[in-house]
Amino acid sequence: MLIKIDGKECGCKHGEFILEVAKRNGIEIPNLCHHEGLPGQGCCRVCIVEVEINGWRNIVTACVYPLERECEVFTNSPRVIKQRAMVLALLHSLAPGSSEVSELCEKYNVPSYRRFVKKNDTKCILCGLCAKACESLGTGAISTVNRGTGKAVTTPYGEPSYECVGCASCAKVCPTGAIMVEEGAGSRKIWGKKIPLLKCKKCGEPAGTYMELRRAAEKLGEGMPELCEACRKKEIAEKLASIYGY
Amino acid sequence: MNYTILVCCGTGCIASGSLSVVEALQNEINSQGANAEVLKQIKKTGCNGFCENGPIVKIMPGGISYYKVKPKDAKAIIAQLGDEPVEALLYRDKGKAVLTQKENPFYAPQVKVALRNIGEIDPCSLDDYLARGGYDALKKAINMPPNDIIAEVEASGLRGRGGAGFPTGRKWRTAAGYDNYPKYVVCNGDEGDPGAFMDRSILEGDPHTVLEGMAICALAIGANEGYLYIRDEYGLALKHVEKAICDAEAAGFLGSNIFGSGKGLNLSVVRGGGAFVCGESTALMASIEGRVGEPRAKYIRSVQRGLWNMPTVLNNVETLANIPVIINNGGKNFASLGTEKSAGTKVFALVGKVKRTGLVEVPMGCSLRHLIYDIGGGIIGGRPFKAVQTGGPSGGCIPADMLNLPVDFDTLTSYGAMMGSGGMIIMDDRSCMVEVARYYVNFLAGESCGKCTPCREGLRQMLAILTDICEGRGKEGDVELLEEISETVLDSSLCALGKSAPNPVITTIKYFRGEYDAHIKEKKCPAGVCTAITGFEIDAAKCTGCTLCKKSCPVSAISGTAKSAHEINKNICISCGACREACRFEAIKTVQKGGLANAD
Repeated sequence: MLIKIDGKECGCKHGEFILEVAKRNGIEIPNLCHHEGLPGQGCCRVCIVEVEINGWRNIVTACVYPLERECEVFTNSPRVIKQRAMVLALLHSLAPGSSEVSELCEKYNVPSYRRFVKKNDTKCILCGLCAKACESLGTGAISTVNRGTGKAVTTPYGEPSYECVGCASCAKVCPTGAIMVEEGAGSRKIWGKKIPLLKCKKCGEPAGTYMELRRAAEKLGEGMPELCEACRKKEIAEKLASIYGY
Repeated sequence: MNYTILVCCGTGCIASGSLSVVEALQNEINSQGANAEVLKQIKKTGCNGFCENGPIVKIMPGGISYYKVKPKDAKAIIAQLGDEPVEALLYRDKGKAVLTQKENPFYAPQVKVALRNIGEIDPCSLDDYLARGGYDALKKAINMPPNDIIAEVEASGLRGRGGAGFPTGRKWRTAAGYDNYPKYVVCNGDEGDPGAFMDRSILEGDPHTVLEGMAICALAIGANEGYLYIRDEYGLALKHVEKAICDAEAAGFLGSNIFGSGKGLNLSVVRGGGAFVCGESTALMASIEGRVGEPRAKYIRSVQRGLWNMPTVLNNVETLANIPVIINNGGKNFASLGTEKSAGTKVFALVGKVKRTGLVEVPMGCSLRHLIYDIGGGIIGGRPFKAVQTGGPSGGCIPADMLNLPVDFDTLTSYGAMMGSGGMIIMDDRSCMVEVARYYVNFLAGESCGKCTPCREGLRQMLAILTDICEGRGKEGDVELLEEISETVLDSSLCALGKSAPNPVITTIKYFRGEYDAHIKEKKCPAGVCTAITGFEIDAAKCTGCTLCKKSCPVSAISGTAKSAHEINKNICISCGACREACRFEAIKTVQKGGLANAD
């Protein structure tokens, strides 16, 4: 199937999302809450584009809009530029501390709305990717709570979560670096919980928290790993090298 | 003569004490002794819709209706059965006593289709429903090819009564066209609009008609399983629906073998947890599945991939209540009511500053004026009508010069309001339109799911600006900024809640711009509602010293002796306006806080 994005003809599969097709064709669509490993979030609305089908133009979200028929996509039409600017301005008021949002605001010439109520230096844009990552790992230690303007991401009752294994996947997928991870000498602190780190037997660097490694070992039915990821990869590479005689 | 005494036991009448009226009537029948010639039976019915005049008691045959009945009235009612009516309990229209509902100006212009059985039957009795032709439509449908059922619904022109007005027949046809199973039929009973109680009334007062509608839908699309999503606050509705499902299954109208045909439908009730957004189709389905009640992008419709990703038809309670009528009397017959593009009738919850409030069912296309002045009896105290807010929190406000607009899906939408589920709030000149907009934005800011940026953050900023305006901190350019944010919220929100949330703001700006300007530029509220910028003064020339204002003041800010002019102590006054409501001589003026008199 052929579609047009900003005038450029692009091939795509039925049901593919606009964002993927654009990316493959070197067309940039800004986004924050999209993560390839956790698709379908569709809530920051920064990736909005205009789609024209049979003369009808609509604003859609590129990261979750499935291409099912021939159409023309506009990523920088006046309407997109206007609405995207407002979305970014709203995000900036929500997360004035996020450099990612500030940079997008600058890039897309978003005016500053002095009238907007700003939150104090927070970075979180409430996209919920962290909660989605935690859920898909089967941990479910954090989640979005409340609704409307009271929405937040937190552990149950805001207390250190019993379920959290300190894997910090939430922090890794966060588009604005809003989740605090304190890496200490022998422990990691995240979501108010301090979890001891296991050291790699080879290099002495932290291999992960005791709890996450144990969880992984249980799931795989193996013993506790003794090496960090880098050393483990190195060991495998060395083994392969010796087998094939490099 | 056999008399049946129908006592309204809808939620409204129960709250006004109808259950003790039932008890008193029963005691009276027992104590006045069995009269061989007069057999009396008491029946608890669903809501009659005229709740403010409840408890309502109707005597059948004849239909003499009594209002605001107290347990002490039972004696006279029973003693005078078949005799002269109890004069004191009749409804009075302009001083004249009205005997039956047919002569009552509130009921007379109504055409009851969806509400046809409510108030006439005991909702807990399957026999009552059967006696009025209940399950005839299902019996008929069971022998119809699915295509014919759908064709009949299409011919009726029935559109979804939940708000969006999507053609029901088209929805069914699309669902029937998919051949992946299981398919589901779901009834949306998560009525959340403030002031609306149409669906509650139907579920409480005639639950079988909804079940019958769902069963017909299931036959048409090929579903074997269905859910009724009903908000948990609707205790009576839940009770009646659950009983109705049990009774219908026991009678073989539902369950695995409908009318012995081999076709089946199993229905379950799911209780909503109180989130307004769960009335949105995809959020509702997420909630049934046990997930957080958040909508998803609807680029793929739920009729294709709904509950558990299977084809699902979601219909509103009132929509389903119309289905048996369509199958029984034919789609064309149904389409003869209403307008060309909005067929049939619509139930409205008429509330606010109108003389007769309640639940009314009228053919589509009747004018707002008819609803408000003929059925509603006009504005309380003869005050000027200012606006009507239609369509729930994300509907719009329609001003006085548009009272002749016909009420149908497309007209209301084209004027920035919407039909919504049928809430209709009437406002007089003492309603501040900026405050109305602030109220609804506040409601939606709290009830948005909070998932997508434009809806959550847009409403957060709009609420802050509107609050500033109402409290005298509005700035030049605020109105334009509100419009700018509104545009983005409308255009780029994820679901229908966000896509309609700015409606109250947009319509009040469009039709009542002057009020915004007065708040922002002159720091005054023309309606005298916004307490932060409004004060009250007593016009000594008009004050008769009746003391009503003094009695109504909650903070004892008013001083004065009987028959002499009263005075308000501004240091104590909280600007609640209770004195102004109480005054019968228009002696209480609104002034700007600080003492400057308003222009009027």
